[in-house]
Amino acid sequence: MLVQVLNGLVYGGLLYIVSVGLVLIFGLRRIVNFAHGSLFMIGAYVGFSVAAMGGFWGAVLVAALVLALAGALLDVTVLRPLQREDPIVTVLVTFGLLLVLENFAQFVWGKDFLKMPVPAMLSGSVSIFGESFPAYRLLVIAVAAAVALGLSVWLRVSRIGLYVRASSADPLTTAMQGVNTDRVSVVVVALGAGLAGLSGTISAPLLALSPSMGSYILIESFIVVVVGGLGSFVGAFVAAMVIGQVHNFGLVYVPWAATMIPFLLMVAVLIWRPTGIAGSHV
Amino acid sequence: MRTSIWLACAVVGAGAVASGPAVSQEALKIGVPTALTGTYAGLGNEAVRAVEFAAEQVNAKGGVAGRKVEIKTLDSEAKPEVARKQAEKLALEGYKILTGTIASGEGLAMAPMLARWDAIYVSTINKSDKLTGESCGPRVFRVNKQDAQDAAVVKPWLAKRKEGKWAIMAADIAWGRDSGRSFVEAAKAGKKQIVAELYSPFGTNDFAPFIQEIKSSGAEGLWVALAGRDAINFATQAKEFGILDKIFVAGVSFVTDNTVKALGPISKGVWGIINYSSTLDTPANKAFVEAWKKKYNGDEPTNFEGETYMGMQVIFQAVERAKSVKPMNVAKAMHGGTFDTILGKLKIRAEDHQIVAPNFFGYIGERDGKLRPIITETISAETATPAPTGTCKMAAF
Repeated sequence: MLVQVLNGLVYGGLLYIVSVGLVLIFGLRRIVNFAHGSLFMIGAYVGFSVAAMGGFWGAVLVAALVLALAGALLDVTVLRPLQREDPIVTVLVTFGLLLVLENFAQFVWGKDFLKMPVPAMLSGSVSIFGESFPAYRLLVIAVAAAVALGLSVWLRVSRIGLYVRASSADPLTTAMQGVNTDRVSVVVVALGAGLAGLSGTISAPLLALSPSMGSYILIESFIVVVVGGLGSFVGAFVAAMVIGQVHNFGLVYVPWAATMIPFLLMVAVLIWRPTGIAGSHV
Repeated sequence: MRTSIWLACAVVGAGAVASGPAVSQEALKIGVPTALTGTYAGLGNEAVRAVEFAAEQVNAKGGVAGRKVEIKTLDSEAKPEVARKQAEKLALEGYKILTGTIASGEGLAMAPMLARWDAIYVSTINKSDKLTGESCGPRVFRVNKQDAQDAAVVKPWLAKRKEGKWAIMAADIAWGRDSGRSFVEAAKAGKKQIVAELYSPFGTNDFAPFIQEIKSSGAEGLWVALAGRDAINFATQAKEFGILDKIFVAGVSFVTDNTVKALGPISKGVWGIINYSSTLDTPANKAFVEAWKKKYNGDEPTNFEGETYMGMQVIFQAVERAKSVKPMNVAKAMHGGTFDTILGKLKIRAEDHQIVAPNFFGYIGERDGKLRPIITETISAETATPAPTGTCKMAAF
């Protein structure tokens, strides 16, 4: 039972790191970034390549940084020029980007499935109340907790965090107050993409790497974002944790309905609380 | 810019005219609706490699009875409804001999449409018994081993195992359900107890809840029917939770040549059905493996590549005998015919269009310094292929 709860936390934690990136980008740019799944995928591949040369921790760092840089580039070259267009244009462009990145990964790393080994230091298991649990999974929970904590402190305490919260609430008024929202946006999109890269590398020892791996996580991340409330950081955290548990216990107790439950949850939220758990406020 | 396009057109046109007389007969057009993305992408790529290899090989010798072989591949994502759509597209473009599809559900979705498309389907990877059972027909053939043939191998093997309690972990698709059902039957026959029967959604990311169930079920043995990305995800996570070391693991399509490449040492010691191996010692197989290695930088053909190549051998011989590429004429030549393949002279049963072929069993171990499936038992074609069950009511040609 306890192990099943922990398993839910692992999956929920991974979902959280991916979705909070989506939430960050949505908050500022008001667009749903379809390329986010492929940023996750590229993160996993970059992590895989770096880990083969420089070890796991180096891989986590490099993948996050490379993807953050890619995110900054994405904001400056794609999202900023398109901000005055209809949102559907940006959605289509990010969707196109997803296809391009998938082909890019296929070209660089090949079509065959790849597998990243669990770092030797964490390959054992830990005994929790008499039940053994893989050490690496505890790391995933720890990273998710650290991201959640770090992010909320950053948003509450720092000046740029204040700007982010303000721009998420109302970009126009924020800009009128003299905040350079474009500059804030570069930071935020870079952070969101960096988190996608981080989660990609963190999940690489658990999942098979393939160019289409992003799509497996993207749909569930969308569900998290909708259930949590578009643009809400707290909501995304709560929703990811709930979906992690629901997913896990669903597979154990009602396997025939397990894949449907997250969708049903989303439908229920949209009917009874269309603004999401957190009511779409930061 | 425009001039160069015209120039290019002229060159292509001239080329077409020039190559015209060399191959005067209608080309043999083979359509491959297969998974190029998603959970079974790895398997789809294997199928495509084998089809292309066979076509290139025969084209270099002047084609099949003077007919050039043309291939077209479309992505079916291993989803039945997508496969049906893509197969229809291929058939309408004239690629009416379909092969290389991965998931059984895809083959089952295509089967009832073949008459409307005037196409035939030659399965090289689908395992569900239904394809040559309830869904059989004059236009459907299977050149690979079906579940019943795998079960015939598993039954005697399982009866001899010392583990009494078994768990089943299979993909929740037509093939996984089929394989799970046959394993339950084999367990009954061998007086083994099934303590957990788990089916994971196709394309599962996190197998932890299933692994936990297997652990707490007290199983001593585990039967796995997962393939592609599912297989890799499950094996990695099962290793992490320590069950690969504590529980005896065997399976079908689980640790294949290709998943071993991705999994490395994790796959060592896992037992399973081996439908084809490049190490098989027949002259035809040796020649095939040598030619393959030459083309693919020393890589040996995998199980799915071997089986798909076999399918192409059968198609080519049927076209030669039919002296036609008309789908129904090819089908007539296949119906009840005997063909030279890399597994020897094999017959396609007239009753249900299932190939009667030998099957193999073994484990993942090290040979020639490389981790690979090693065959320990060979089961002859007659023993490995149970008689038709009677579920197939073959319509008249």
